[in-house]
Amino acid sequence: MKIAVLVSPAVHPVSGRPCAGEADLAALALAQRLPGELQVWYAGAADDAALADYLARGADNIHSLSLSPDSDVLAALGSALQGVDMVLCGARSGGGDGSGLLPYQLAEQLGAALLPDVLDLSKSDRQWQAVQALPKGVRRTLKAGLPLVASVNPRAATAPGWSYARLQQGKIKRKAATGAALAPVVLEPARRARALVAASKVSGHARMQGAIAGGDAKQAGVVVKQGDSVEKAQVVLDYLRQHQLVDF
Amino acid sequence: MSFSLAHALTGLFWLGALLLLGGLARRASLWQQGRSASVSWLGLLAMPKRYFVDIHHVVAREPAVARAHVAAAGGGVAILLLSALNYGLMLYQGWLDVLLVLMAAVMLLGARMMQARRLQAPPRLSQGRWQVLPARLRLFALGSLLAAGLLFAGPQLGMAGQLIAVVALLMLALGGAELALGIGLGWPMKHAVAGLLHLAFHPRAERFAGKSSDLKPLNLAAGELGVAKVEDFAWNRLLSFDACVQCGKCEAACPAYAAGQPLNPKKLIQDMVAAQSRGSDPAYAGNPHPGREAAVVVKPGEDIVGSVLAAETLWSCTTCRACVENCPMLIEHVDTVVNLRRHLTLSRGEVPGKGSEALANLRNTDTVGGYPLAVRYHWAIDLDLPVLQPGEQTEWLLLAGEGAFDMRYQRALRALVKVLKAAGVKVAVLGEAERDCGDVARRLGDEAGFQRLAKANIATLAQYRFAHIVTPDPHVFHCLANEYPALGGQFDVWHHSKLLEHLLARRAIPLKADATPLPPLTFHDPCYLGRYNDGFNAPRNVLKGIGIKVVDMQRSGRDARCCGWGGGAAFTDIPGQRRIPDMRMDDIRETGTGRVAVACPNCTAMLEGVVGERADVIELAELVAERLA
Ligand code: SF4
Ligand code: SF4
Repeated sequence: MKIAVLVSPAVHPVSGRPCAGEADLAALALAQRLPGELQVWYAGAADDAALADYLARGADNIHSLSLSPDSDVLAALGSALQGVDMVLCGARSGGGDGSGLLPYQLAEQLGAALLPDVLDLSKSDRQWQAVQALPKGVRRTLKAGLPLVASVNPRAATAPGWSYARLQQGKIKRKAATGAALAPVVLEPARRARALVAASKVSGHARMQGAIAGGDAKQAGVVVKQGDSVEKAQVVLDYLRQHQLVDF
Repeated sequence: MSFSLAHALTGLFWLGALLLLGGLARRASLWQQGRSASVSWLGLLAMPKRYFVDIHHVVAREPAVARAHVAAAGGGVAILLLSALNYGLMLYQGWLDVLLVLMAAVMLLGARMMQARRLQAPPRLSQGRWQVLPARLRLFALGSLLAAGLLFAGPQLGMAGQLIAVVALLMLALGGAELALGIGLGWPMKHAVAGLLHLAFHPRAERFAGKSSDLKPLNLAAGELGVAKVEDFAWNRLLSFDACVQCGKCEAACPAYAAGQPLNPKKLIQDMVAAQSRGSDPAYAGNPHPGREAAVVVKPGEDIVGSVLAAETLWSCTTCRACVENCPMLIEHVDTVVNLRRHLTLSRGEVPGKGSEALANLRNTDTVGGYPLAVRYHWAIDLDLPVLQPGEQTEWLLLAGEGAFDMRYQRALRALVKVLKAAGVKVAVLGEAERDCGDVARRLGDEAGFQRLAKANIATLAQYRFAHIVTPDPHVFHCLANEYPALGGQFDVWHHSKLLEHLLARRAIPLKADATPLPPLTFHDPCYLGRYNDGFNAPRNVLKGIGIKVVDMQRSGRDARCCGWGGGAAFTDIPGQRRIPDMRMDDIRETGTGRVAVACPNCTAMLEGVVGERADVIELAELVAERLA
């Protein structure tokens, strides 16, 4: 099986220097766990030094498609990756003008399935099974056959530590390539976020009072002042059971 | 009878000499596993001076032990020399026998003193063969005494004499075996031979000419990436491990050991011995690395870390040099720790805890904490501190270091600038152009990162004209003063304590005239100012100069306990039973002063980080600033 990992330099948030992108590193680390022949690819205008972090963190060599800064990398990557069974890349780039659309466009061009935002990949029967990260910690299992493109979540895997020796041994193999012209970037002002409106205007203290200081039976609150800690805990437990908030 | 006894002694002498030479050859073949090193054979000539002067400086701190050693070793060496003359060369002179008897008596006394000490051995001493050594030496001394006595007394002793002669020969053989076989079999007396050769071929020979505490650069272009296997050590480094007498002085001084972190410097050295001797030496019989097994498994051909040694052991070290300072055999533990770390960092890329984050920050931002360089001097925004532009000149260049990003330490920096201004010192800073000095990178084994930063700093500093550099950070001070020269950076660097001392001595700092006397306090010596650079007096003189009495802690000056930050230990943060700064705070509490003066941003952070009741931590410059008129 041929696996390709796509990497690109990120912009360091403090110094603005190029460094490795978190999601791309995770893709590299995830790919290293999979059986198969691994290739690392980059397309764009960055110089070798900007890719150094990937060498130091586990890429033996990087195939770099040299493109002028104003060209679209899609076509060049698409033709270079013909015949590759699995393409992994970061779910989003670590800076620059990256739109996060590349995996989708690439999957379309290669006629491959797309598994977005994966945390893990494993083989099940003849298919590949991915754990997808959804908001709020929700996970979903996706399955696809080869060829496939997977965009990798930054938390999927941890790349090996930065090693000077690996940096020295690693090689960047440059190939000239031609890219299509980039569609002009259109910037629009962000829409103003809608202000949050409180559901009730009563103060927090008043609402707390309302919840506990029950004079009439309608209010749910009870203040337990008698008894030792076990008895008090029992009251709480009874309440939780009654409202089916615990089931033991 | 005397005739045959004398011949027996001749035979015994040459037999012993042969065994010793054979053992030495065997041991030398182990040392030869190491890389070649440039050593001077003149070291052999310098050996006596190094033995009697440099070692004496260390040993004399424990006078009773020193006296015992002088008697035992001096007596022993004299016996060997006299025997070589009298029996080895078959002179058989009566007056030499008299001398022999005398020397044997001296040695007997020394061995007796050592044996007495062994009866109540402090826990830092190794047991095993070391425990029985004094008894063996006594046997040897007694045998010599009897034999020489008999020979001097002549043949008229008859039967009794013959019996005594046989007993004496047996004693000599048994006791002498310790020395004759010691070097070959790795028994305690190995230290005598290896120790003397170590003095001659010391891997840091320049330490005999003055202070030497800088780490040596790796030749990265030649592929030097630290020590992975025994073969990567220089041969004289392997020799140095064999000099260890397992006295445990390093163990007793080590803050990491005391804190229960898995590092015992004595064991570390013995681990290296086990690695190079492939386990052929007697088993180690001392304290283990805390929380670990004492036994090691040596797998030939494997990396040292992971087989003989756990990585945590290396990362526990604060590079405080307390071990080196105390080692009577002048072994350099810190070099070994850093050499092994270099392999872990440069080749394997395995740095634990926040260490790898610190190194990444240094690569990406040139600061340890990942700060923008532009904010380093924000604390000075209202102090009218000139930022030097390329080509401009100043007398004093202030390097604030990483402490400039710490809000607590910014107070100290402001105090320092205030004092310097009051004293009329012409001082400027680099502003954004100042990068980290590379101290943390280097101690964490990232030699490539250190060299990058050092070279960049040297190139930057070359663009400005200044007479001196002053810094309140002992790590910056040490790096620039002692480690940059090897990379081509020669600067006149002062720690601020020295500049303050200098200014106070010249009465350049206007002090309050009617100052009420201040309560006494104690002073915490930073390792990189004190042990690394002998800067013990300057901070004390500053405190004296502003009328504050210093109550020294039990462990102060040369014996000061590290605050726990050095060597990147605050980043790798290997867990132990206690935290080193907590232990240091206990030392401070013991003085009862309730206040401690510090002279390093990192000591400040570590000691202020102690939770619960603690002494006030005040920077030297802050104390001076308080006294400004
Ligand atoms: S290394 Fe030095 S101080 Fe430590 S036990 Fe050996 S001889 Fe003693
Ligand atoms: S340098 Fe300090 S922490 Fe490291 S082994 Fe020596 S005494 Fe222990």
